[in-house]
Amino acid sequence: MSAAPLAAADLLVVDGVTCRFGGVTAVNEVSFAVARGELFGLIGPNGAGKTTLFNLITGLTAPSGGHLRYRGEDITGLPPHRVAERGIARTFQNVRLFGELSALDNVMIARHVRTRSGLVSGVLGLGAARREEHETRERAAALLALVGLADRPEERARNLAYGDQRRLEIARALALEPELLLLDEPAAGMNAGEKRALSDLIRSVRARLSLTVLLIEHYVPLVMHLCDRIAVLNFGQLIALGPPAEVQKHPAVVEAYLGDST
Amino acid sequence: MASFLATYDFLLVSMVLAAVLALTLYLPLMAGQLSVASPGFYALGGYIAAIMSTRIFPPGPGLYPVSLVLLEMAVAAVVSGVLGLAVGVPALRLRGIFLALATIAFVQILGVVALNLDVTGGAIGIFGIPQPFSSAIQYMWLAVPLLLVSMLFVARLERTRTGRALVALREDELAAASMGINPTYHKVLAFTTSAVLAGAVGAVSAHFINTWNSRQGTFDTSVNLMAFVLVGGSRTFVGPVVGGLVLTALPEALRGIAGVDVLPAWLAAFLRDGRLIIFGILIAIGTVFFPHGLITPGLLRRLGRRGARPG
Repeated sequence: MSAAPLAAADLLVVDGVTCRFGGVTAVNEVSFAVARGELFGLIGPNGAGKTTLFNLITGLTAPSGGHLRYRGEDITGLPPHRVAERGIARTFQNVRLFGELSALDNVMIARHVRTRSGLVSGVLGLGAARREEHETRERAAALLALVGLADRPEERARNLAYGDQRRLEIARALALEPELLLLDEPAAGMNAGEKRALSDLIRSVRARLSLTVLLIEHYVPLVMHLCDRIAVLNFGQLIALGPPAEVQKHPAVVEAYLGDST
Repeated sequence: MASFLATYDFLLVSMVLAAVLALTLYLPLMAGQLSVASPGFYALGGYIAAIMSTRIFPPGPGLYPVSLVLLEMAVAAVVSGVLGLAVGVPALRLRGIFLALATIAFVQILGVVALNLDVTGGAIGIFGIPQPFSSAIQYMWLAVPLLLVSMLFVARLERTRTGRALVALREDELAAASMGINPTYHKVLAFTTSAVLAGAVGAVSAHFINTWNSRQGTFDTSVNLMAFVLVGGSRTFVGPVVGGLVLTALPEALRGIAGVDVLPAWLAAFLRDGRLIIFGILIAIGTVFFPHGLITPGLLRRLGRRGARPG
């Protein structure tokens, strides 16, 4: 694919990004652009390179080639905390909460880049630091309420049910006040009712917080209902990109999912 | 009471200083970093105090002024902090056991340097360090406030933005970084803070022990500190403090038990002479059955709830 067109509305531009692990090319010259406010789905069979792409965007893995631009700024190769500072938050495919800590602490931690208190002012509990601490707690509690965990702020993250852990991860990501939210299989391990509630949640926070969402999901109905556009990866390559209805009928997609029909 | 204090004066002060030193190991551990460098900074702080009090400040009649000890503590803290920063920036790129090994090497290097310099008195070290107090127990006036301030500091730290960032790194460095926490900055911060505290403890200890040489703050101290934290508890600052106090007193307590007449002779001898074996067994049992130490945040919560209930 050629370089992605750079429109003013594009929040994230993935431009010819490649990632090789030894002899394996996990992501191969992938290019696409996510528009501001869009709910963008990323699907593909297992091992297609979806999570690797998330890791590339969030700086956990350095790309072997290509560029990543966020708000027009080159973020290629930035360390994860610098990417997060710029307003990109994520959840993880295999939930990575701070297990020994309370649900509330998990969310409070992610207020880090939106708060300023240093070691000394924090420990001394000076006026500004005290106010900030109070505000952090309030905001974290509000986010717990948003994802339906208001009644269990002190529960240790590892003791929560799997679906609750996934929702807590979303609350933690939102605490960063991101403009771009990356959700890596948020519905995994949820039952049908929880999945419906989750897609309502995603839709509502996106509207309320004017988020742009990049979503990896295996559960096809959720993606089809939720997403404005979908990109399909297979063996590290982008094989289709477009609105759900179009992508669903795309011959390459059908082949990737169902095998060669001829 | 007076006779108890007179008999155990040295032990009591040692216990309190050990508790503070245990906190110096706990600080980097809050961020998940096993560093045993603090005995090195402890040794450095001791040398700074020893050199300042024996060579720089003129000897006067009577007791050595406590204000000068405080000044030495401040200098030791600052110098240790600067060295901590210089060592921490490259060292904290290492992970897990490699960091532990690098910090062991750091302690060894400092020891060898101290052994071979003239200013540190070579193998003999520095002796006749002037005394600010007329009896050992009065060192409590320095040791106890130092412990209380450090405990207060760490207790507060655990409830601040910086402290949460450290704990997040301990729990999951990758997730913490993805939440915007700069791993290197916070690890170096914890390491440097630990160095500052260890340097200050060293300065007090040099006066307290009266002589300072390259056998102070060695790898043996590193192992002791690890025992304090592992047995006491590594998930709340209360653990290392209790570990430091109790394990420092333990050999004396065992000696006391061995003195009871009803014990068979072999057991009494074992309690008296086998305390290193007992120490080792305790560490082994502790790490296997209480991986987070005896005092855990959960235990403190339960105690707090029980205490809060009336009656």
